[in-house]
Amino acid sequence: MATKETELLDEMKSKFKVDGKIQRERRIWVSTDEKKLMEMSNWLKDRGFVHLSAISVTDWLEEGNYELTYHLWSYNDKILVTLKIKIGRKNPAIDSVTPIWKESAQIHERELHELFGVKFKGNPDLSPLFLEDWERSPPFRKDFDWREYVREEFYDRENEREKVYYD
Amino acid sequence: MVKRSKKAKTMRKLIKAIWIFNWFNSCGFTELVPLVGSRWDMERFGMIIVGSPRHADVLFIAGYQTPKSIKRAKRVYEQMAEPRVVIALGSCTMTGGMYWDSYNTIKRLEDYLPVTMYIPGCPPRPEAIFEACEKIFEHVKELE
Repeated sequence: MATKETELLDEMKSKFKVDGKIQRERRIWVSTDEKKLMEMSNWLKDRGFVHLSAISVTDWLEEGNYELTYHLWSYNDKILVTLKIKIGRKNPAIDSVTPIWKESAQIHERELHELFGVKFKGNPDLSPLFLEDWERSPPFRKDFDWREYVREEFYDRENEREKVYYD
Repeated sequence: MVKRSKKAKTMRKLIKAIWIFNWFNSCGFTELVPLVGSRWDMERFGMIIVGSPRHADVLFIAGYQTPKSIKRAKRVYEQMAEPRVVIALGSCTMTGGMYWDSYNTIKRLEDYLPVTMYIPGCPPRPEAIFEACEKIFEHVKELE
């Protein structure tokens, strides 16, 4: 039986040659690569996926990859499409989707630029969102040792009550 | 009858009823709302929350402070008229509390603001805050 999920997935597979699966009812996971991002986003937006609920990054330290996840919701089909894209961890850069989803993409991209250092090409404003006077590497990267940072920045080994943090 | 110096008397007049300005981050505020409510009603002691730090005698700081919010807290403190008292509530202001290893919270409030008194607890009980406010009157003499 062809449900709307399988229809959509088949359409995407034939059009963009991507991998994907139906995770469960009304949830579709699609893996793609950064070159197809803009094309797919435009197509999905026109197809009714007007709501970009979130962009998130997963840091796969051993693989050396960042995995960007775009969660898209359609009010007509009532389907959540999850776009997954892997990019290199060293100089993470990807096209910005702000021309497509405007402000709802802007705030997420700004946050991810701050916390993971992902460069969104074409985003006009990637200024810091939460952090002020931050000069280190982005704090949400897995190789950022925040305990070490806290020890240098805030604690004192000589202080009696703070010695325990150095054991 | 306790003998008080002239200066202490003037100071005591200034802090007769404690007017509070709240600088509450995170759970600090929600945990101390009972103080305003009918059960512990702080207004019976003349303690009220004022809208501007320029009217306040006491600055309550509760919850963890971030490097970003501490700058604003300093500006609030600078606007207060003398004599001023800073009371830090909760374990977060003392040691960072449960955020002791967070890169984004400050650990010792006294490094940034002259803290008059710490009230420990996570969160402190309303009774502890009343006790601290009582002590403010005792310590008024020591204030500059």
